Amino acid sequence: MAFEAVLTRNIRKPGSDGIDSYLASGGYQGLRRILKETAPERLVDEVKNSGLRGRGGAGFPTGMKWGFLPKTKDRPRYLCVNADESEPGTFKDRLLIEKDPHLVLEGIILSAYAIECQLAFFYIRGEFHQGYRTFERAVGEAYAKGFLGKNIQGSGYDLDILIYRGAGAYICGEETALLESLEGKRGYPRIKPPFPAVVGLYGCPTIINNVETLANVTLIAERGAAWFASIGRPPKNTGPKLFCLSGDVKRPGVYEAPLGVPFLELLNEYAGGMAHPDRPLKAAVPGGSSMKILPASKCDVLMDFDSLAAAGTSLGSAGGIVMDSGTCMVAALLNIARFYAHESCGQCTPCREGTGWIVKILSRLERGEGRREDVGLLADIAVKIEGNTICPFGEAIAWPVDSYVKTFRDEFEEHARRGACPMRPATVR
Amino acid sequence: MDDTSPPPHSPNLPRPPAGAAGAAPQPGPDEVALVIDDRPVVVKKGTTVLQAAEKAGLLVPHYCYHPGLSIAGNCRMCLVEIEKVPKLQIGCATVVAPGMVVRTGNERVRTVRAGIQEFLLINHPLDCPICDQAGECRLQSYEKDYGRGVSRFVDEKVHSPKRYDIGRSVVFDGERCIKCTRCIRFCDEISESHELALFQRGDHAIIGTFPGKPLDNPYSGCTVDVCPVGALTWKPFRFKSRVWFLKNVPSVCAGCARGCNVYLAAFRNRLHRMTPRANPDVNAYWMCDAGRQSYAALYERPRLERPVVRPSAAAWDAAFDRAAELLRGVAKSRGAGALAGIVSARLSVEDLHVSRKVLGDLAGISRLAVPPHEDGADDELLIRRDKTPNARGARLIGVGGPSAGRVKEIVDDVAAGRVRGLVVVGEDLLELPGVTTALLDRLDVLIVIDWWKSPTVERAHVAFPACGYGEFEGTMVNFQGRVQRLRAGVRPAGEADPVWRILRDLGRRFDLTSEYATPAAIFDEVAATVPAFRGLSYKVLGETGAPAAEAVAGEAYAGGAPAVGGAGLAGSIAPAGS
Repeated sequence: MAFEAVLTRNIRKPGSDGIDSYLASGGYQGLRRILKETAPERLVDEVKNSGLRGRGGAGFPTGMKWGFLPKTKDRPRYLCVNADESEPGTFKDRLLIEKDPHLVLEGIILSAYAIECQLAFFYIRGEFHQGYRTFERAVGEAYAKGFLGKNIQGSGYDLDILIYRGAGAYICGEETALLESLEGKRGYPRIKPPFPAVVGLYGCPTIINNVETLANVTLIAERGAAWFASIGRPPKNTGPKLFCLSGDVKRPGVYEAPLGVPFLELLNEYAGGMAHPDRPLKAAVPGGSSMKILPASKCDVLMDFDSLAAAGTSLGSAGGIVMDSGTCMVAALLNIARFYAHESCGQCTPCREGTGWIVKILSRLERGEGRREDVGLLADIAVKIEGNTICPFGEAIAWPVDSYVKTFRDEFEEHARRGACPMRPATVR
Repeated sequence: MDDTSPPPHSPNLPRPPAGAAGAAPQPGPDEVALVIDDRPVVVKKGTTVLQAAEKAGLLVPHYCYHPGLSIAGNCRMCLVEIEKVPKLQIGCATVVAPGMVVRTGNERVRTVRAGIQEFLLINHPLDCPICDQAGECRLQSYEKDYGRGVSRFVDEKVHSPKRYDIGRSVVFDGERCIKCTRCIRFCDEISESHELALFQRGDHAIIGTFPGKPLDNPYSGCTVDVCPVGALTWKPFRFKSRVWFLKNVPSVCAGCARGCNVYLAAFRNRLHRMTPRANPDVNAYWMCDAGRQSYAALYERPRLERPVVRPSAAAWDAAFDRAAELLRGVAKSRGAGALAGIVSARLSVEDLHVSRKVLGDLAGISRLAVPPHEDGADDELLIRRDKTPNARGARLIGVGGPSAGRVKEIVDDVAAGRVRGLVVVGEDLLELPGVTTALLDRLDVLIVIDWWKSPTVERAHVAFPACGYGEFEGTMVNFQGRVQRLRAGVRPAGEADPVWRILRDLGRRFDLTSEYATPAAIFDEVAATVPAFRGLSYKVLGETGAPAAEAVAGEAYAGGAPAVGGAGLAGSIAPAGS
């Protein structure tokens, strides 16, 4: 069965970011039908049956997450949309927001209906200027056409949506830091438990979902759980997926494929193969910069949650980064570590202190001032961070460091031994 | 020990003998039974693992947790292993569950803890030799247990502002700071003044204030107390003494009617600092800046160090004889009604008791008045408008509470010539309304007992040098009706003596027969003769005091309610040793 692109079906149409184009291609039909025919809990079941797993990075089953909301309704519930896409190499949500905002918005309205909430927040990365303008216009159009506000499409269901722009911190993509930021505070991840489904925004039960996840809810409402569950690698890795590919590939970009597509197929057929024919694949991070790296020899993997976990890495936000034989792994890791040291919120000790230390050691190695013991030290720092922090940011630095050092230990040691980067021409001192 | 003290160095007790687990007490309906390091523990529901471990005698190392503040969970030092939970969990935020099995000191936990300790020190300046916190610094304490001794960090440290005046009385060293946010939480949750915040991110994160808003609340010193390292230091104490030379004496602040429990810290017979001592019923973990510096008057005002018989210094016996002679003379020539006394509610219960006996009963001074000292308003935390620490005690002992009216009557009678002899204990009359030097000059006899050379002392016919705050021991009754012990931190200046002893020796000239050897003995007499103090003794009062009996029976004793503003700060007070 040929795969039909559904998440990206509209993006090349002229005026794809406007509601007229969206309606013309059948948009909001699913929402109208659901509001008329389906009780909220039935929609929750539908999403559970679809097997949809969160597209933000952790891959948690979306329907199950919704099920964690307390049954009592003594407090308002909130839906927060995580549009703070900031992982280096990940740019899929941006595409949806800018090119098909109503696909996302319909998913938001459906999901809010499913969890019976009357107010949704759209937390969008501050640097997404165009995305913000596009989405704000889309929201205005939806209000004008009666898809938002009071008594949506005559169903008696009310929903308002507030757009909130982040101020430029990567950490605010962590769901509890996002909540803190929304509340006007410093973007510090919260201690869990309690989880947001119980104590979330302003202390109320809150569901936080990724943009792509919500776009998938639109598709499930439109075509049904069975259709969705038939795509990909059922039963646990279902549905279409947006994959980002960047680095040393011929055509970097966002590609839609079923979950479980082979990485090499993505690389060679979707992205056109390596950028330089004479420089073969050296390594790749299939899931995104915060995930573990795979050497070329292990890149023959399927791109889904469970296959990549079995391969020792994760799908993450599917921000694949491809490195060819010209890449210095110390420099590559330093580049990543600089980002994480800069973005560490500084709240808890291991991440705050460890990220900076890692950068200093890597800089020294790359400058040619490394010591042999630095290689082991790097791995040990990663071990001391991993699992000991308030939020998963700790893993986001520990995993790359640990996997780069373990996989390319010789290269790291060579830096120390030579007192120079072997990948770079000798520089005049 | 309270939270201002450093943790013990070898905190964990030996394991109980095998089979001890069988003797585990059964949990009640509101209790949870769990096992921590093979020890059965039963604690109240809602207790955290850290608190439960403490109850079992196991100290889980921590920086950011403070029993009087909200949980931040940021230092990660208290990570412990909990069976069936894959990741280590922070003891400060993890609530106990039935059957939980916790390990606070196994190899895995110790390795992680050593990692945290190393992280905290890589950017720390290691300037212990010149750091005021050295000796009571948690970094030092835990380094002893978890440090590797040699640093693996060879790179340039992160630099931050040092010796930065973050407020009127507090100095900040950004390089020593471990970002535990205790100081921020204090300003947000206790003083509610919100001056402090974290700025920047990652290893450049730094505590700071907002433009034009320095750390300047009436409780700013508490940020120094809660700082587990040397990042915040108290200006008046900087470089004054190594803390290990300080002798910390438990006492009570006499700055206002609250009576915050404190430690008086002395080195070489000089007080160098006062810090709060935890008492859930009175001050929780806190005290105000004014109280913290209240001892300083001892060194700022000129001391009266020897008895004076105007115009010159005199021996004690000569001064007592002269004072008795002068008082008798007035009584004889003008009648006992021409004598009056002004005593201070800053005196102890013992001082006031002997005052009443000697001045009232023996010397025949029928009118004793206590001047009020009020300033500002009661705040919502600790500070009381009433600046006399023992007003309640004066009332209970029978001298009478502070009364501007009664003082004014005496002053008016002095002006009218009806009062010719005045005994003043612990008050500077010239501070009082309507009192002038001309008025004092109208007196035939002015006898003053005070710790400093006040303008009133300068005009006394006979003056006796008394102990200042921190030099005497005794009891005071705070505004709640709680009787608390003050202790001496330093020896008296010069020949100064406690007020009760001066009055006792004066009383000997009026046929006083009671021995009154010690303040404890005087207090025992008070307990035996004054109903409000029935059943109390220094032993019963202990370190944190006890409510006066009358206060309990008559006016509702305020001590049982939260000592500190509304939401029950006192209720959150954990067992000592945090």
